[in-house]
Amino acid sequence: MHLFYFREAWRSFTAHRGLASTAIFSLTAALALCGVFLLLSHNAEQALHIVGDRREMIIYLKDDVSEADVQTLQLKIRDLYGSPTYVSRAKAWEEFSTQVGDPELLQAVDTNPLPASLRVKLKPELLNFTAMETAAKQVVEFPEVEDVRYGAEWVRRLDEVSAALHRGTLFAGVLVAIAIIFVLYNTLRLTVLARRQQVEIMSRLGASDRFVAMPFLLEAVLETFVAALLALGMVFVLQQSLAPRVIGLTFLPLTWSAAFVGGAMLLAWLASGYALNRILRTVGA
Amino acid sequence: MISFDHVTKRYGERLALDDVSWRMEEGDCVSVLGHSAAGKTTLLRLITHEVSPTSGTVTVGTFRGGKLSRGHRALLRRTLGIIYEDFRLLSDRTVFENVALAVRIAGHYSDGEIIPRVLHALTEVGLHEHQTAYPHELSFGEKQRCAIGRAIVNRPALILADEPTGALEPKSAGEILELLKRIHREGAALLVGTTRPEVAEAIGGHGFVLEEGRLTNAQHAGPSLYAPPASQTPPLPGGR
Repeated sequence: MHLFYFREAWRSFTAHRGLASTAIFSLTAALALCGVFLLLSHNAEQALHIVGDRREMIIYLKDDVSEADVQTLQLKIRDLYGSPTYVSRAKAWEEFSTQVGDPELLQAVDTNPLPASLRVKLKPELLNFTAMETAAKQVVEFPEVEDVRYGAEWVRRLDEVSAALHRGTLFAGVLVAIAIIFVLYNTLRLTVLARRQQVEIMSRLGASDRFVAMPFLLEAVLETFVAALLALGMVFVLQQSLAPRVIGLTFLPLTWSAAFVGGAMLLAWLASGYALNRILRTVGA
Repeated sequence: MISFDHVTKRYGERLALDDVSWRMEEGDCVSVLGHSAAGKTTLLRLITHEVSPTSGTVTVGTFRGGKLSRGHRALLRRTLGIIYEDFRLLSDRTVFENVALAVRIAGHYSDGEIIPRVLHALTEVGLHEHQTAYPHELSFGEKQRCAIGRAIVNRPALILADEPTGALEPKSAGEILELLKRIHREGAALLVGTTRPEVAEAIGGHGFVLEEGRLTNAQHAGPSLYAPPASQTPPLPGGR
């Protein structure tokens, strides 16, 4: 029986090539737009991830803290916030010297003014502004700690960009979903009307709505599948053409691509089900 | 099996059926004779629930009255075998596929069971050798046979035929009537709507006349309907 539905869908698909091509073309345009946005979102997210990985908290220690206290503090920090790396006063001076580079300038400083510190690579769940701010407030309360720095403004902006990208992707997704529903609704209406006689005959022979609708549903999903593959192909061509000019621009990972195609097909199934439910009420009396 | 209880059907101002009450039992053979637009098709469409009565109750088997849900309506139609005057065959499918469609819709059979079932029905209606033909390759008589094959393939308890010989020349019409009578003899109830008295006569069974929306027993009907001038209607080879 299932094979019958597929045969019927294929029969309808080939019998109305014009309609099918129009639907595929329109769906490809909508899905390609979504694909481009996904590509941007993916690459921006990757970039943010790299930058985000460098987000660290620097805990400046008081001068009189003993080595044993530092060890204890490191254990607490590792347990609660992330992976700490101890930077002694000497090491901090060495790094500072390397950065400054000018020996004459360095000679002007009599003694090493830099404090020892712990550089903490934060746990992933703390890589957002609110969590970092809370963590910093907690850490500064430890008696061994002089001060805590984590680039609050930088982190906040990073989070804002990330959130804006997510909102943009969601917005584009909603727009594309509406476009898919609109295109499929109208295409299905035309397809059903073109096969009105068939639908009416089936209905008079006692066909259930499911029996009548299934081939149309499969046809819509098939068209969306083709459109999603074409859209992915277009996005791939775009990525390949931009890759030499934009360093680090990568194509969507396999899971994203599969989710893109699968999501489009699922949406097509739902939209077609809704559309056919309405259309068959007027055609299949 | 079928009962109409004070059924009236109006299409706007036009009265199609006027307070019709009648019953048809299992295995009955009934012909409804009436002029064009007398209400025969409306009567059949009320049975298949393509239209709802304006007032009164139509009961078909266990499906009683009112407006059936789409699911129940489909279920009801699956228990009937319906033969339309214009055949209602799908033009892009072969004779075999047209008949097989009814079996697939019934949904009781696997793909393996469908083929012998359809072939048996096609043999019964004498279309076995035309199973790969498309409707446009068939004569009117063959199309009607195909429609009958589709109607009987699921062995329904009731067959509705709306002007089954309407488009046929006398020889084919006679063969079709013989076929319908044979199907009835094998146990199916048969309800035929026709404008032709000789068809109603050839079908036999209970005869009703439908005139201006009112159904009367043929024995009580006036002579104008049941005995038209012989010149207008040539005798049917299969008629009695």
